[in-house]
Amino acid sequence: MKRKKNNYCIFQTTFLFAGIFISQLLFAQTKIDLTNMNAFKHAGANWQIVGNVYADPGKKSKLTIKEGTGIIANLPGAAHENLTTAFEHGDMDVELDYMMAKSSNSGIYLQGRYEVQLLDSWEVLNPGPGDNGGIYERWDDTRLNGQKGYEGAAPRQNVSRAPGLWQHLKISFQAPRFEAGKKIENARMLRVELNGVLIHENEALTGPTRSSMAEDEVASAPLLIQGDHGEVAFRNIVYTKFDQKGPWISSIKYSVFKGKFEKEPDYKKLIPVIKNNAIVVSSAIAGLPKNQFLVRYTGVVNIQEAGEYLFFIKTEGGSGVLKINNSTVIPWIEENGKASAVLQPGALPFEFIYSKQVDWPQAFVNLSVSGSGLRQTQLADAGIISNGGSADPILINAEENKILRSFMDLPGGTRVTHSVNVGSPDNVHYTYDLNKGTIIQVWRGGFLDATPMWNNRGDGSSRPVGAIQYFGNPVPAIEKLGDDKAVWSKDTLGSGFRPKGYVLDDKGRPSFKYVTNNAFINDAVRVLENRQGIQRTIQITNAPENLYMLLAEDIEIEALPDNLYLIGDKAWYLKIQDAGGAMPVIRKNNGRSEMIIPVKSKLVYSILF
Amino acid sequence: MPTFFKYILLITMPVVGLQNLAQAQESAREEDYFKISKVRSPEGTLLEVGGLCTLPNGDLAVSTRRGDIFIVENPTAGKPYFRKFASGLHEVLGIAYKNGALYCAQRGELTKLVDTNMDGKADVIETVYAWPISGNYHEYSFGPKIAPDGSFFVTLNLGFPDVWWHAQSFVPWRGWTLHIYEDGRMEPWATGMRSPCGISMIDGELFYTDNQGDWVGSGSLMPVKKGAFTGHPSGLKWAGMPNSPVKVSIEQVFSKVNPRIEYSPSGRPVKPENLEKEKFMTLYQMKQYVPELQLPAVWLPHGIFGISNSEAVKIPKGAFGPFEEQILIADQGQSKIMRVFMENINGELQGCAWDFRSGFQSGIVRLAWGNDGSLFAGETNRGWGSAGDANEGLQRLIWNKELPFEMRTVKAMPDGFEIEFTQPVDKKYAEDLASYSVESFIYKYQAVYGSPPVNTQKCPVKGVRLSADGMKARVIVQNLRQYYIHTISLNGIRDKVNSYSLVHPVCYYTLNNIPKGAKLSINEVSVKNSASKNVTDGGVPLSSVNSYAAIKPLLVKYTCIACHNPDKKQVGPGFMEIAKRNYSTDKILSLLKKPQPQNWPDYATPMPPMPQVPTTDAKKIAIWINSLDDKK
Repeated sequence: MKRKKNNYCIFQTTFLFAGIFISQLLFAQTKIDLTNMNAFKHAGANWQIVGNVYADPGKKSKLTIKEGTGIIANLPGAAHENLTTAFEHGDMDVELDYMMAKSSNSGIYLQGRYEVQLLDSWEVLNPGPGDNGGIYERWDDTRLNGQKGYEGAAPRQNVSRAPGLWQHLKISFQAPRFEAGKKIENARMLRVELNGVLIHENEALTGPTRSSMAEDEVASAPLLIQGDHGEVAFRNIVYTKFDQKGPWISSIKYSVFKGKFEKEPDYKKLIPVIKNNAIVVSSAIAGLPKNQFLVRYTGVVNIQEAGEYLFFIKTEGGSGVLKINNSTVIPWIEENGKASAVLQPGALPFEFIYSKQVDWPQAFVNLSVSGSGLRQTQLADAGIISNGGSADPILINAEENKILRSFMDLPGGTRVTHSVNVGSPDNVHYTYDLNKGTIIQVWRGGFLDATPMWNNRGDGSSRPVGAIQYFGNPVPAIEKLGDDKAVWSKDTLGSGFRPKGYVLDDKGRPSFKYVTNNAFINDAVRVLENRQGIQRTIQITNAPENLYMLLAEDIEIEALPDNLYLIGDKAWYLKIQDAGGAMPVIRKNNGRSEMIIPVKSKLVYSILF
Repeated sequence: MPTFFKYILLITMPVVGLQNLAQAQESAREEDYFKISKVRSPEGTLLEVGGLCTLPNGDLAVSTRRGDIFIVENPTAGKPYFRKFASGLHEVLGIAYKNGALYCAQRGELTKLVDTNMDGKADVIETVYAWPISGNYHEYSFGPKIAPDGSFFVTLNLGFPDVWWHAQSFVPWRGWTLHIYEDGRMEPWATGMRSPCGISMIDGELFYTDNQGDWVGSGSLMPVKKGAFTGHPSGLKWAGMPNSPVKVSIEQVFSKVNPRIEYSPSGRPVKPENLEKEKFMTLYQMKQYVPELQLPAVWLPHGIFGISNSEAVKIPKGAFGPFEEQILIADQGQSKIMRVFMENINGELQGCAWDFRSGFQSGIVRLAWGNDGSLFAGETNRGWGSAGDANEGLQRLIWNKELPFEMRTVKAMPDGFEIEFTQPVDKKYAEDLASYSVESFIYKYQAVYGSPPVNTQKCPVKGVRLSADGMKARVIVQNLRQYYIHTISLNGIRDKVNSYSLVHPVCYYTLNNIPKGAKLSINEVSVKNSASKNVTDGGVPLSSVNSYAAIKPLLVKYTCIACHNPDKKQVGPGFMEIAKRNYSTDKILSLLKKPQPQNWPDYATPMPPMPQVPTTDAKKIAIWINSLDDKK
C-alpha cells in the first residue's frame, strides 16, 4: 500500500467576496414572532403562545405548558381549529421545530393545500405517507373503496423522534405555475428534510392533498398548520419567500477559439474555429476540442426586477469570466466563481468566457443566479451534469443485527478511531467507542454509508445515514472519582483502561467488555422494544470504591418524574431502570450539566430518542 | 481521414498488438509449468483479500477489506464452501491461526476470534492489544505473524499527511513492528517501516518487505531483528520512549541525509525530486554511521520485481519441485510472484531474486500454502491499480509437476557466482562467455520518492567452469562490489535436451558479503567468447521500433512494462492510450524525465521520473509509442 492519490485538484475553489456579504444578499428570511399571535389569522382558542412545553413519552396526547413566549402550542379542547398564517406564499422555504405529544397528529399545509404530515411515528418501522414527514395522500370520494386515497409519498426513511422532543423540519416548496389562469406546472416539494435527513426530493404534487383548506390550486395562499387532531407545539418558524421574477437569457451566440488562454485575448485578432447561435449556454458544443480552447458566449440577460443578484459560474478544467452590461462581474477565475451585481430591469448584454486548459476533465460549464427573493436558478443547460468525482454510493443496510467497525467523525472534527457501529433491523443504531467504553451517538433510519471507507483507497471512515443524536466528544464512561464533585477526566490515562472487545449473543448483538481501575465491565447494549431507543446494562465485577458512570453531559439536564431525564434542548431522554439504589447527581461544569451516578455492580438505563 | 476509417484502425490496432505479444516463443514459458486457477466463490462475494491463512484441516481463512472473514472449506476442491466466520471488522489486513482461534489485525487492534458455541461463526471478538491510530487513511495495520513461542508480530504503516511524499508517524508506533503477547503485553520491536505490507514469518524468523517511496529506494526483503532500524526515519520519533529498543534518533539520520522539506517560491510545499548530479548516500554507507540500520537481505529492484512488494512465504518441502524451501514474494502493483534464494554469508543473509509467475488477475497481497502444495494468492488493488483485469480476488497457483528450465540457485563465490540449473545445460552455450553478462548497481538512500539505479557498472565475465553433469556453472566475474545488486543475465544459455532458453534468464543477486575462499584459476575455466564485440542488452536498431517484439527488451530493461501494458490499463495507461495524446517525440522524452500525473486523473499511482533512461533508447520508445496512433 503506497502512495496517496495525487491531488489532482489543481484549482482551488475560490470565491470572490466574503461570505458575510453573500449571505446577507441571499436570504430574505423572516422569523415568525411568537411573542404574540399577530402572524396568524383564524387562530382558535386551542392555539396558545407559551414559554415552555413538555410531552410525556408515555402518556397519550398530552402536552404540559409553562407560561411565556417563543412557542406556539396547540391544546385542542372545545376548540380545535387549524392555524393559518397572515402571510400568503408561493415559492417558499420554511423550517421549524415541532414537538409531538404521544400519538398526536398534525401537519404543515403549504399554501393550505399540500400537507407534510406530522405524526408521532416514534415506534414505526416502515413509514407510509401518513407517517411523520410523509406527503399526505390525495383523496377522491368518487373512487372505489380502498382506492380513494392516492399519490401520497412515504418519507425515504423514518427519522422521527420521540414525543416531547424537538424535531426539525425543513421544506423547500415550489408553487404551481399558471398561465392565463390555467395550471401549466404542478406544485413540488423540492426538498423536505426531517431531523437533518433528506426524506423527499423533487416530489410533484398533482393537486391538494386530503383535508386541504380548498380544492382549487392558486399561485399564492397562506401556510396552514393543522390543529384539529392532537397536541403539538412549534417554535423557530423561519420562512423565505421566493417571489422575485428571475432573469433569463436569450440571443445566445458562441465562438470557440483554439489555444491555451490564460487571460482574455483580443478577439479581434483571433479567428474562431466554431461560431454559432444557441438556445442555451452549454458545453455540449458539436466539434468542441477536448482541451485548450476558449468559448466566448454572448447574449442578453433579461432582468425583470431591479435588485442585487448573485451570479455563480463553473468552468471545469479551466477558467471563466462573466460580464454583464459591459462591466466585469466575475473576473478571470479558475473553476468556480461567484459575485453579485445590482441590475436594473432591461435586456442587458452579457458575456461568459470558458477557457479550458486542463486535459483530463470533461468540458463543463454552469451559470446560475440567485437573489434575495430568488432561488438559485439555472441560466445554463441544467440537463448536463458534471462528471467530477462521483462514486456509486456503498450503503450498508441492517436487515439483521449488523456490526461494522470504522473510523467515525464527529461534529467539530474529532475522528473516533476505535469505534464499532452497531445496526439493527429496527433501524435504531449506535456507535460505541472501544477506547472509552462509551456510546458516542445513536441514530434512527438507514444504517451506514461506507463509501468513504471502501470506494477507491478510502479513508477508513463511514457515516450514519439516518438522523443522529450526538453525545459530544467521547470521554470515558466509567471513572473512579475522589467524590461526586471531582472533575471528570477527558481520557483514560492512569485508569489502567484496557478494551477487551465484545461478545455476540445468539442474535448477533454485542456486549462490550473492558477493564478500568481493575474493575471488569460488561456493557450490554440492546435496542428497546418498539424501537424507542437503546438500553444499556452495565455489569461490574471487582468495582473499587467511588466508581462513577457519566450518564449525560449537555447544556441542560432536567429531571422529570419516574426516573426520566430530559437532556439538552429536549433532544433525548434518559431513563434509569436499575441503579442498585444509587441516585444520580446532576452537577454544573462550565455552564453545562453533567449527570453522574455511583456504580457498584449493576446499572440499567435507556436512551430514548 | 474519414471517421469510419479511423474507427476501423482503432479497433484493429489492439489486435495487431496482441498478435505481436503472442508471437510464438520457441522456449517454454512460466505459464507452461505453473497454472493459475480460480477459487469458485458465491456470486457477489467481494474478496478484497487482506489476510490468508491455512487451517490445520486444510480450510482456508480469508479476511477482506470489507471486514469479513470467510472460512473456505475444501478450498482446493471444485466447489469450495464459503462460510462467513465473522463480519464488520475494520479493514482486516492479516489473519493467523493458533490453538483453535483466529487472530487478525484490524486498523486499530490485534483481535482474537473464537467460535465458542460451534455454530460456525465467531461469537467472541476479543481485543488482544489496541494500538493508537490517528485515523489517517494510510495507517494500515498488518499481521499478525505468529512466532514459534506463540507471540505475535504486527507492522504498522506510516500515515500520509497532505504532503504525502513525507510519510509521518502521527501517533506512537506508526512505522513500527510491535511484538504482542497473548496476555496483551506489547513491546515495541523495530522501526524504519514505511508501508510494511509484506510482514512474513520464515523459519520462525520475522521478515518484511516494504514499499518503495520516500527513504525507500526500492522494495526488498529484510530480516526484522529486535532493535533494528530499517530505513524510514519517521518512526524514530518514538525511539526515545522508555520501552523503545531502537536507539537511533531522527537527527542522526538527518545529519547525514537531507530530509528535503522543500517549498515553491510562493511558499507551497513541493515534492522533492531526484537530483541527477548530487553527492548521495546509500544504505550501506549510512550503516557506517547507524549500525542498527538493517540492510536488505535481497533487493527486489523496483519496477522489475514489483512496485509494491507484499507477503513472502517459504515453499514447503515437497512443493514446487526444484524450488522447495526457497522463498516466494508477491507484488500488488504487478500482480505477480517473484522467487528468492537466500544464503548465509559471514552470518548475514543475502541472495538472488527471479521473476516466477505473473498474470494474476489483481494485485497480490497475501500468499498461503494449501495442504496439497498449491499456493493461494489473495488479491486486491484497493484503489492503487494493478496488472490484471480485476480489482480483487482469490486465485490458486498449481505446479503441473513438469520441470521448467530455470536457474535453481545462484551462490556467491570469492571470485564470482555459482549458478545451479534445474536441468543440464548445453555445453556449447554454457561454456561460451557470450552467454553471460553481469552488471551491478545500487539505490540511493534519500528522502526523495524512490531512487533510480545508481553507480551502475559493467562486471566482465572472465571465465566459466561447467560441472560434468551440466547442472552448475561457476563464473568468474570482475568488479564484484560488496552490498551491490548484481544483474546476472544468461540470455545465451540453452538446455541440453530441448535447447530452450531459461524461463527467466535474468536474476538480481544482492551481494552483502563476498565469501572468502579459493578462487578459480584461469586455467581451469573456459574463456571461449563467441561475441566478436560486446553484445548489449536491448540493442534495438532504430529502424525496427515499430514492432512490439523489437521494443520489448527496452521496455523491460527500463521497467516501463512494470506499469504500462501495450493496449490495456494497468498501473498506468496503456501505450495505445498514450499514443492517442499525440505527444511529439520530444514531449514524450521530457515527460519521461518529468511526468505530469495530473494529465491522467483516472490513474491512482503517479509515474516516477525516469532520468536514467538514456536519450537514444528513450527516443526509440517514444517513436514506437507514437507509431501506435493512426494519426501519425
